[in-house]
Amino acid sequence: MSLRDLQAMFAEALVRPQPIATNPEWSSRGDREFTGSARLSPIEQLDVYREQFWLRHVHCLEEDFPVLHALVGAEKFEAIVADYLAAHPPKHFQLRHLGDALADFLASRDDALLADLARVEWAYIDAFDAADAPPLDPTAVAAIPEDAWPKAILDLHPSLQRLRLVYSAHKMRAAWWDDKERRPIERAPRAPSCVVVYRHKFLLYTEEMEPLAFDMLDRLARGETLGAAGDALGAEVEEKIGAWFTRWAGLGWISGVRVSDDAGGS
Amino acid sequence: MNFRARHGIRDLGVGVGFRPKHARDVIDRGGSPDVEWFEIVSENYMVPGGRPMDDLAKLHERYTVIPHGVCLSIGAVEKLDDDYLARLGKLVRALDAPYFTDHLCFCKASGLDLHDLLPIPYTKEALEHVAARIRYVQNAIERPFAIENVSSYLSYRSSQMPEWEFLAELAERADCGILFDVNNVYVSAFNHGFDAETYVDAIPAERVVQIHLAGHTDKGSYLLDTHSDHVKDDVWALYERAMRRTGAVSTLVEWDEKIPAWDVLAKEASLARAHRDAATGGPR
Repeated sequence: MSLRDLQAMFAEALVRPQPIATNPEWSSRGDREFTGSARLSPIEQLDVYREQFWLRHVHCLEEDFPVLHALVGAEKFEAIVADYLAAHPPKHFQLRHLGDALADFLASRDDALLADLARVEWAYIDAFDAADAPPLDPTAVAAIPEDAWPKAILDLHPSLQRLRLVYSAHKMRAAWWDDKERRPIERAPRAPSCVVVYRHKFLLYTEEMEPLAFDMLDRLARGETLGAAGDALGAEVEEKIGAWFTRWAGLGWISGVRVSDDAGGS
Repeated sequence: MNFRARHGIRDLGVGVGFRPKHARDVIDRGGSPDVEWFEIVSENYMVPGGRPMDDLAKLHERYTVIPHGVCLSIGAVEKLDDDYLARLGKLVRALDAPYFTDHLCFCKASGLDLHDLLPIPYTKEALEHVAARIRYVQNAIERPFAIENVSSYLSYRSSQMPEWEFLAELAERADCGILFDVNNVYVSAFNHGFDAETYVDAIPAERVVQIHLAGHTDKGSYLLDTHSDHVKDDVWALYERAMRRTGAVSTLVEWDEKIPAWDVLAKEASLARAHRDAATGGPR
């Protein structure tokens, strides 16, 4: 067997959720390729690696999604991971990316609560090691002429994660982390929420926002100018944007402001 | 001139693997005089920013930091990941590391990242393949590379030579260093029934730039390299045997599961120093 075929065989064995030692087909394949030892048959040796593959990946996702794990219990969590890895086998060298698609995977199974909870927990992962950015420089703000503000674009802190939730899963997360006794977790009610997760001075925070402010922030995060975003959301924004700007800058959400040189941007 | 001298690789003394759990002990509270340098898991610091990168910058202000990878997949047949190499090169340069390390194994196959240190068969085909890849990586990163022997739980019928012969010949052909893990030798010797001392005695001592020590777990029918416990007495004995051959080289204690309090780890480093001094005839 070529080196390529041997390694492909290894990969095929590892991603199987069930032990391969009892499978006759795998036993004969193992006998052909591996020596076995005084204590383990060839296929039992391969199964050591398969078992470690699953322990490692389940443990990794358990660490990244502890509240989801607590909510569904260990057995169901492992079943979810098995289904998830079958659909999304690991394709990034960093285990840190293993859970990239878990929230969308759960949403595709019509489990909106679990999907929202996964989305909140993953936002913490992404915010934790997102790029750093300096706080907003007041001189950059002062340098913008008053009539240029409609064309201003905000640079938001890279850690800022914006979440539109169907359930208030962020409150479930907070309750679980606050409860030192780790009592059984209560399912969050269906309550549409707009939530931001962000990092400030290496600590992570959650902030629930009023929908209009969240919509504005969301548009600004997508690169719209203040004027374009405000026009799209109506007159109420104009009354509130000054206060929002001050608060967002204070929370470290804004790290820069510049005037768009796009003549078409209003 | 031997590999270490050619590349100006000096003995760093005794270090430990840097883990986030100990960040405040080391960075904010001054660490321990028993720990002279640190090793990091390279891939954990290939992230954009936040606490990990800030901790690393502060650690590097005070200590030599060696990047130790687990995902290079040097033994794979899949193409080397140029994006990975670019990120690794950036890290190595940022740390001004005298060398960088990874394992003699494959981690990728069939387009998947399997996140394990999977053994390769010790064949002439594999020898040529891996040596060429090490030369490529060493040129790309522009720093000396040292390859580490892994613990393994199976062996291939197609192997044409024992692991120690493969490793020695590989280091020679690729002109790279060796990160010699004596715990891995012990674990594999038990699992495959070979003599650990034969392995230690066969390693080209002049290419060893660093030695790894760790604890393992007895699973009954095999030993598992868990890095979850103190170094076992038999492994200390192998360490001293290796040290007598290599002379004083950088030594590192790894502890990755059931990670103890900082003081416990620092004490393990102190114990490593005692064994090292016993083998080499005194402190550096």
